[in-house]
Amino acid sequence: MKKIFLLTLLVTLAVSSCKPAGPKIMVDTAWGRQSPKTATAGAFYMFIRNAGLEEDKLIGAKSAACKTVELHESYQTPEGAMGMRRVTGDVIAIPPGATVELKVGGLHLMCIDKLQDFNSGAQIELTLRFEKSGDVPLTADIRE
Amino acid sequence: MKRIFLFIISLAAGLGLTAALTFAATQWLRPPALHGLVMQPQQPAYNFTLMSHYGQTVSLSDFRGKWVMIYFGYIACPDVCPATLAELNKALLSLGKQSERVQVVMITVDPERDTKEQLAGFMPHFNKSFIGLTGTSEQIKEAATYYGIYFAKHQEDTALGYLVDHTATVMLIDPDGYLRVVYSFGTVAKDFADDLKYLMAR
Repeated sequence: MKKIFLLTLLVTLAVSSCKPAGPKIMVDTAWGRQSPKTATAGAFYMFIRNAGLEEDKLIGAKSAACKTVELHESYQTPEGAMGMRRVTGDVIAIPPGATVELKVGGLHLMCIDKLQDFNSGAQIELTLRFEKSGDVPLTADIRE
Repeated sequence: MKRIFLFIISLAAGLGLTAALTFAATQWLRPPALHGLVMQPQQPAYNFTLMSHYGQTVSLSDFRGKWVMIYFGYIACPDVCPATLAELNKALLSLGKQSERVQVVMITVDPERDTKEQLAGFMPHFNKSFIGLTGTSEQIKEAATYYGIYFAKHQEDTALGYLVDHTATVMLIDPDGYLRVVYSFGTVAKDFADDLKYLMAR
């Protein structure tokens, strides 16, 4: 009996001391701007942190409040104008130890064909899909 | 001895006063730097005539007596345009009653999709006083050209269909119809409000 107990203890210790080498994704301060349903599209912004030891990739997102969610990026064109494009390959890499900011005038999630008004104070449920970490659910606050 | 002492005192006081006056002249009386590109010399702004989201024909000259802030944008632009319109709204809110002397106008660079009905559902959401303007492609191109606004449709593999690249500046026109300041994308509400307060007080 004592032997079995010791063995169990050892196995438990061995397993728990084995840290997973993979990525560890954390999403912080997700928000979107208030906009009516008539404004076909709306952007979501947030911080995505990878506290793990391996790179992960954001490969998509969805929400019950949007028909489609795409990964987009605003950028300055050679003419000095502001342009917007879909992120190449629909992939945003999140390197280990890094925090990638989705922000106004930069990377953002694009909610296309809104299925509801985004009113200030509301919360919108989103699911981010990562290559390794899988689905990460989160709530975005709608602000003015 | 006493005389020398008095002389030194008055000399010091005089120097101090001169320094203070110089400081006042260069610091306190100096106009604050505006937060955009100040147009020199001032030129009359192009007098467009377009269709408002209320279904009325509107010209820039209809707004004489008001400060007009013009932005070229479009509805399917979900990042840059709402950000700018939201900052302009915050600026107007912080001006209180003085905001009645300011008119914000968005001219669409996507007249194909942004009809007056679409604009009517979009503009008031930011601020009830904002006016959306649309027109024929030719009218929009002409207005954009005169204001130095570049815009071009670009096809993108997105559920949005196509996107429009555009110069995202805000132009401030004075009550006499002169283009005064051009603000680059990313100008915040406080900077717009500070400039408006300063210019309106003159």
